[in-house]
Amino acid sequence: MKRKIELYGRLRDAGLGSAVEVVLPKNATAGRALTVLKSSFGRKAALLTGCVIATGDDVLSSSDALPGGRLAVLPPVCGG
Amino acid sequence: MIRVTKSRLDPAALDRAVSSPKHGAVASFVGTVRSPHAGRVVTAVSYDCFTPLAEKELSRIAAAAERRWPVRVAVEHRIGRLRVGEASVAVAAGSGHRAEAFEACRFVIEEIKRRVPVWKKEHYAGGDGRWLAGCALHRSRR
Repeated sequence: MKRKIELYGRLRDAGLGSAVEVVLPKNATAGRALTVLKSSFGRKAALLTGCVIATGDDVLSSSDALPGGRLAVLPPVCGG
Repeated sequence: MIRVTKSRLDPAALDRAVSSPKHGAVASFVGTVRSPHAGRVVTAVSYDCFTPLAEKELSRIAAAAERRWPVRVAVEHRIGRLRVGEASVAVAAGSGHRAEAFEACRFVIEEIKRRVPVWKKEHYAGGDGRWLAGCALHRSRR
């Protein structure tokens, strides 16, 4: 199934825009989504080092199944 | 008062939000855009944010501070492109006494830097820019 994953921070400079669409198996985990994203990023896959998948409510661990709703891939944070 | 906003911050409004006749102390922290940084002349900083999760994390951090100390907390984080000297984050903690107000204020800003999904890109006088390194996020079990 197709899922849209939003990009933030340094990932916006990957030349892929503000989101990417990936094809994932049913009941895919966050870890699987990151693996598929690396293919989308190609030569810029190193930008995904240290990144996590999150919903609008929580950060997901790699073994968490992807829920419905918004998904984002988040680099290490540096607010303040 | 807890929010992510594109508008200019008003730290005095946060102080008022945590003030009470029972409070003998209000501790405040305001983070501002600086220049130079790491030897480069900074002209502006762009703040990017995953807003729904950021506002939830700000609320969770404020609630954690209010459970840990007898305080009332308010916090705002600005996003968008900010010039040098503009406030990017403001925290206020009101309490009966200064010790817990200081401690809660420090706790909140440290947790913001560790777990709120915000990123900053410095823009330099030469026209180039750089996303700053940060802290990797992890699933928190609640």
